[in-house]
Amino acid sequence: MTVTEDALAKGVELLKPWTEETNVPEKGRTDVILRPENLLAAVDVLHREPWGHLTSITGLDLGVDAGEIEVLYHFRRQAAVLGLRVRTPRDAASVASIWDILPSASFMEREMSEMLGVDVVGMPPHGRLFLADDWPEGAYPLRKDFSPEEAAQQRPAEDRPGDAAEKPQRFIIPIGPQHPALKEPGHFEFCVDGEIITSASARLGYAHRGIEKATEARTWVQDLYLLERVCGICSHIHAMTYCQGVEKLAGIEVPPRARAIRTLMAELERVHSHMLWLGVGAHEAGFDTLFMYAWRDRETVMDLLESLSGNRVNYSANLLGGVKFDVGDGQIKAVLDGADILEKRLHHYLDVATTDESFLIRTQGIGTMTQQQAEVLGTVGPTARASGVTRDLRLDAPYAAYPDFPVKPVVASGGDLLARFVVRIEELFESLRVVRALVQNLPEGDLAVRVPTKIPEGETVSCSEAPRGELYYYIESGGADKPERIKVRTPTLANWGAVLSTVVGCQLADVPMVLAGIDPCFSCNDRMVRLRTESSGRRLWSWEELRRYGIEYYRCKTSAT
Amino acid sequence: MQNISDLIALAIFPGGLFLATIALGYEWANRKLVARLQNRLGPPWYQPLADLAKLLAKDEVLPERTIGALFHGLPIVALAGVLTAALYVPLFGLRPSFGFDGDLIVAIYLLGLPTMCIGLTGASNPDRFSLVGATRTLTQFFSYEAPFLLGLLGPALVAGSWQIGQIAALARGRWLVLTQPVGFVVTLIGLMGELELPPFDAPEAETEIVAGALTEYSGRGLAFFRLAKDVELVVGMALIAALYLGGVDPALSFPLSALIFFAKTLTILLVLAILQTIFARLRIDQTVGLWWRYGVLLVLVQWFVTILGRYLPL
Repeated sequence: MTVTEDALAKGVELLKPWTEETNVPEKGRTDVILRPENLLAAVDVLHREPWGHLTSITGLDLGVDAGEIEVLYHFRRQAAVLGLRVRTPRDAASVASIWDILPSASFMEREMSEMLGVDVVGMPPHGRLFLADDWPEGAYPLRKDFSPEEAAQQRPAEDRPGDAAEKPQRFIIPIGPQHPALKEPGHFEFCVDGEIITSASARLGYAHRGIEKATEARTWVQDLYLLERVCGICSHIHAMTYCQGVEKLAGIEVPPRARAIRTLMAELERVHSHMLWLGVGAHEAGFDTLFMYAWRDRETVMDLLESLSGNRVNYSANLLGGVKFDVGDGQIKAVLDGADILEKRLHHYLDVATTDESFLIRTQGIGTMTQQQAEVLGTVGPTARASGVTRDLRLDAPYAAYPDFPVKPVVASGGDLLARFVVRIEELFESLRVVRALVQNLPEGDLAVRVPTKIPEGETVSCSEAPRGELYYYIESGGADKPERIKVRTPTLANWGAVLSTVVGCQLADVPMVLAGIDPCFSCNDRMVRLRTESSGRRLWSWEELRRYGIEYYRCKTSAT
Repeated sequence: MQNISDLIALAIFPGGLFLATIALGYEWANRKLVARLQNRLGPPWYQPLADLAKLLAKDEVLPERTIGALFHGLPIVALAGVLTAALYVPLFGLRPSFGFDGDLIVAIYLLGLPTMCIGLTGASNPDRFSLVGATRTLTQFFSYEAPFLLGLLGPALVAGSWQIGQIAALARGRWLVLTQPVGFVVTLIGLMGELELPPFDAPEAETEIVAGALTEYSGRGLAFFRLAKDVELVVGMALIAALYLGGVDPALSFPLSALIFFAKTLTILLVLAILQTIFARLRIDQTVGLWWRYGVLLVLVQWFVTILGRYLPL
C-alpha cells in the first residue's frame, strides 16, 4: 500500500461512524458521502487526528430538477484528497459552519454562501465578502437557474450592516479599495488603539469578473483562455492546472516534452512572481532602493518569458493536450545565461534581506505566525513554509515534469516577515536549478496530442503549486463540449485568515508589510459577476456602449474648448 | 533707503523669490541624486517648478468639518516662517541680512514652524490618514527637535554667542566638524527628521497613511507646504555649512564666494541623498527611540567635552 492509499484508508476509517457511502472517483481521491447533520462531527474528527488541511469548499447546484445543492469539503494530506460531500435541499439550503473547528473555512464558507445561497449556520456576523453592496438579495449567481436579466429587475439590497457598523466607537483606519499600499483593489478596516491594531476585517470582490460562471457558458477550449486571465501574475499556472484537470478527465497522457516546457514556464513564472513580490515587500517597508533594483533585475526573467512565448504576462503556453511552442537552442542558451544573472542578483538580495539592520528591524519578529497557527489557519505556499509547514505540491503530489525534475523543500522556522523573505528568495535558487536542469535535459518528442472537443462525463480535482501556494481546481464535466462546473480556489483565499489574525497586535506601520507578506493577489480571489440595477440609477455598460460614450465625451470636451 | 533694501532682502534677494527659486533647484538636485542612486532616471530639471505651477493653478478643496482659516492659513504661516528664518542665516556666501543676539534660537524655531503647521492642520481636519499623520509628525517633532537644537548649540558654546553671524564668523575656516563630529552628525540627521526625508518619513508613509497630515491638501496649500520644505532644506544646509563646515568668507569676491557656498551645500545634499537611499523606513517608535536613546545622549556627551575644553585650563 502506498502512502497515499494508506492515508485515504485512514481517513475513511476515521469517518466510518457517519459514512453513508464511499466513492473512489480517481486515483488518490476518495469521496465520503455524509448526512448534513453529521458534518461537524466528521470535520472535527479529521481535525483532531489531524488528517491534512482543508483545501477548499465547493458548492454544486445539481439543478432545479434534482432540487438539491451539494457541498464538497476537500481535505488534502500530501497527495491524498479526501472529499466530504453533503446534500441540502435547494429551496432551504443550509449547512453547519465548520468555522469553529477550522478558522480557515470562514472565507470559503462566505464565498460559497454568497454565490450559491446556502445558509451557513453558526458563522460569526459579517457583511458581504465578494458580492457588490447593491447586489439584490436572493440572487445567487452560481445557481444554474440564475439569470442576470431577472436579477437586474430586482430591488438592490439595503445597506448592509457590515463590521464597521457594529463598532462605531472605535478609530478605524480604512485601507482600500484605493490605497497606495495596495496595487489591486481590496478593502480592509483596521481598528487601532494609537498605533496598535486591535481588530481587522476584509471586504473583497472589487475585481470580480464572474469567471467561474462564465466558464459554464464557454467551450473547454475557450475556457483555457479565460482561466489564464484569472491572474495577471501567475497566469500560466492557472491555465496549466486547468489543462491537467481536463486531460485527466479525457484520459489523455501529455507528451514528456510538453510537460517539461509547462514546468519550465511555471518555474520562470515563479521567479518573476517572487521578484515582483520582493520589490513590493521592500516598498511597503519604505525601502525603495531595494524595490527599484529588484524590479530592474526582474526584467531579466520577463525578457526570457517574452523570448520563449512572445508575451510578458499571459504566455498562452498551454493547449489542451500539450503546449503551443517549442524551445530552441538559442532560447536554451538565453535561459541559462539569464539564470546565471538572476542567481547572482538573488544572492545579493538574500544578503540584503538578512543583514541590513534597518530592514531587519522592520521584518524580524513582525507578523509572526507559529507552525501551529499556520496549520490551523490552513495557510499554503511560501507563507506556510516560512512557518515551518512543509506543504509543497511539487513534492507532495508531483505533476507535469516534477517527478523527473524534483525540487527540494525550502522551509524556514521563523514564521515572521524575515522568514517569508528568506523562503521566497531561497525557493528561487531551487527554481533556477530546476530551470537549468529542464533546458539541459529537455525530453524529445511531440508537443501536443489531440483532445476531443467533448470531454467524457466525470469530475476531477486538479491542484498545483502556484507561486503563492496550493492552487485548486474542481472540474466537472457532463459529457458536453462545455464544463458543468469549474471551481477555482486560489492560494490567496486560503491565506487571508493568516493576515487578519497575525495583524492584530501589530503596529499600523507594519500592516502594509504583513498584508503583502502573503503576497496577496486580489484578482485571483475575485472572479464573480458584477451587476448594476436600473433602480440604483446605475446600469451595466457593454464594451461597445462604453467605447461610444468615451468617444462622445472627448468629442464634446474638445469642441467646448 | 534702509527700508527699501530691507524689503528687497526680505522679498527678492537673497531671501524671498531668489531663495525660493534656488530651493526648487535643490529639490530637483535631491530628487535626481536619489533617483540616480536608486538606478532610476529621475525628473528633468524643471520638474519642481512645473509641480509648483500646476499646484498653484489647481482648485483647493476644503474638506467638510474643517476650519477654513486654519486650512488655508497654515501653509502661508509655514512658508513665511522659513523665509523669515532665512534672513538670519548666511546664504549664497553673503552675510546674514539681519542679526541680533539670540537669533540662533529664533531661526531654529522658525525652521520648526512648517512641522508645527503640518501637525496642526492634519489634526484639525477629520480625515483619518491626516490625523494619524499629524500624530506622527508631532511625535517626530518632539523627538528630533531637542537633539537638533542641542547639535546647533554646540558651535554656539564654542563661540560664546547666540548670534548666527557671530558664530559663523568664529567658525569660519575652522571646520568645527573636526572638533565636534558628533554634533555635526546629529544636526545633519536632525535636519532629515525635520524634513521628513526617508528613513524618517513615517509621518507621510504612503504605503500606510497615504500622504499623512497633508492627505487632504491639493492646490495652493500643498504648493506652499512643499515650497516651505524646499526652503527649509536650503536654510538648514546653509546653517550647517556655516556652523560646522567653515562657512564662506564674505570678504571673497562674488563668484568665488557663491561657488564655495554651493559646493559645500551640495556636498551636504549628496550625503543626505545617500542616507535617504540606503535605509528602510523607520517606524515612528523606532524614530523616537533612536533620537532619545542615542541622539540626545551623544550630543550631551559632546557638550560636556566642549565645556570641559573651554573652561578647564588644559
